[in-house]
Amino acid sequence: MTTVGSPLGGRNLRYAYMDHWRVDTAQGQISQYSSVERFDAFLKQVSGVGYEAIETFDFHLGALRDLFGSLEAARAHMQSRGIDRVLSLFHAVMYDARQSTPHVRATHDRMAGYAEYIMKSSAGLGVQNFIVMPAGLYFDVEPVTDDKIRACAELWNRIGQMTLEGYGVKTCCHHEFFCGIRSAEQLQKFYDWTDPRYVFLCLDTAQHVIAGVDPVDLFLKRHDRCAAFHLKDTHHVDTNGDYRRKPDAEVMAPTTARWFYEIGTEGGLVDFPALYAAMKEVGWQGWVGVEHDKADVGGGNYPESTAIAAWTIRNVLRKIHD
Amino acid sequence: MTKWGYATNQWKAGFTGFARMEQQERALKVTAACGFDAIELSAGTGRWDPMGRPENIVQNFGSVEHFKLRLRDWGIQRVASVFLDPLQMSFEELHHGLDCTDRSQHALLLEQAGVFARFLAEVGGEVLVVRALPPFGRHGGLDAGRQAAAADCWNAVGAMTAALGIKTVLHLDALAPLRSLDELAAWLALLDSATVGLCMDTAELAIAGHDVAAWYRRFHARVWHIHIKDALAVDTLDEYRAPNAERALLQAGGQRGIPRWFGELGTGLVDWPALMGALRETGYAGWLIVESDKGPAPAAASMMQNAWTVRHVLQPLLT
Repeated sequence: MTTVGSPLGGRNLRYAYMDHWRVDTAQGQISQYSSVERFDAFLKQVSGVGYEAIETFDFHLGALRDLFGSLEAARAHMQSRGIDRVLSLFHAVMYDARQSTPHVRATHDRMAGYAEYIMKSSAGLGVQNFIVMPAGLYFDVEPVTDDKIRACAELWNRIGQMTLEGYGVKTCCHHEFFCGIRSAEQLQKFYDWTDPRYVFLCLDTAQHVIAGVDPVDLFLKRHDRCAAFHLKDTHHVDTNGDYRRKPDAEVMAPTTARWFYEIGTEGGLVDFPALYAAMKEVGWQGWVGVEHDKADVGGGNYPESTAIAAWTIRNVLRKIHD
Repeated sequence: MTKWGYATNQWKAGFTGFARMEQQERALKVTAACGFDAIELSAGTGRWDPMGRPENIVQNFGSVEHFKLRLRDWGIQRVASVFLDPLQMSFEELHHGLDCTDRSQHALLLEQAGVFARFLAEVGGEVLVVRALPPFGRHGGLDAGRQAAAADCWNAVGAMTAALGIKTVLHLDALAPLRSLDELAAWLALLDSATVGLCMDTAELAIAGHDVAAWYRRFHARVWHIHIKDALAVDTLDEYRAPNAERALLQAGGQRGIPRWFGELGTGLVDWPALMGALRETGYAGWLIVESDKGPAPAAASMMQNAWTVRHVLQPLLT
């Protein structure tokens, strides 16, 4: 029997929870960042199944400051609940060729400035990773040329150097299945053309599987670049070209109401035992992020998915590597 | 004759919620099943809001004309109005919120309002509803300069929409900095009475401590549009003054932990017989847009209950 409330992690791995929650209230679904009580309940629930950190979006920074007075105070509150830090901050930018999109060099100064603003304004939370989508929506980038991939690489080299040398934070690229750098060939070029000192991979297992890329193979090839994980599952490979369908692939694809599921979902396509075996093979140690974006689509809910993922880690995956 | 419609603002929970076309279809079929054949849309931003922008409507429905045809298939005959809160960020206009009390932001605000006014003209709508003022917490009480700037902004918007055959109405909410009747009357004197009217929101006014029927009787000549919902509590501690009142008061319930501010018709503090009587006596002929804004899930339950109340309680009071 496990000790009640014991951490999910062991000797090699510690677990963070990438937050997409909303909570049911008398006013309908609301962000848990709307009150100290709701945020506190969220922390206790996540900590209660063994996660030791959270990850969140940079647009929540203002709310955290508002709720707790400062980000240092917010982190202290998290720590009092068993959540050590905000491990990773997802940089939520709606890319737009008029002012901010990685493949358009004319927008790089603005993007770099905004990224540095986020670095400065997130101090106090213990952030270690800055998660970014490395290219715009596929239909906004296509045709995806070598020059466009090189432009993206230039931007993230610049930003990655700034975040690491200036703030001790690793810039990690998170390849949504609908973004402009998604295929195995595009990934290979991008990581060949980015500086291994400054640009890292956030391995999102479901996104890669949906895009037709084997995340285990990618990890084995690029584990030296992998600094973060978003472990989640999927039931679908995008065989219909939804990734390039306007206006949106993520939540509006006519073929697929829900792309993302928690680790442990019945019929999931990600081979997590193989990934954990690969992590063991290369001796990977550190934080692992768990995610299940849009878990509430079709009647699911975030707490249950969070717990099911924890159960699977504790009972299936941890014995492989940890 | 009074016209009834239902707002759509209760359906979209979160930025990526209510984005799929089948969700839009089911929501409007629920609306039609409740007996409402006109709607008020909410202006949105980004690709996850299929009915929130004219560009999105064209993207998702093919054209505004096809949109109208689809609505009719679902039992909705008209788009009566669109609600626009310029303080919300806009990816399309590239801003993080526009403040009508800041003259430097007027040109972009006018441009954004024009997008929705032209859409309303094309879709056969009548009213552009705009959030009248930033919340008290932003600037405190408005000085004369900011009041004049806001009035100039809305006069420009009103003239623009009038040229398109669309009415502009100003929606005053529970956080608005002009609270007293005299303050509001003085500000109204700066607004062009021919092109700029008011949207009276029954619950917002009740939360702000007003007697809604009395408020209406004072300003009825300027009230061209009404949002109708009940209020479950009054902001007795004046927490609307807090700089973060949208979150701390409305979402989190303030110091008293109010779980929910808006309620179904007849469940709260609004004196409906008095208000309906005032509407009847003054011959109100604008839209009555029912809202289930910020209600609990499922949204359909609130709408169905409100449909009963409108049919059996409120409509009889108007005749």
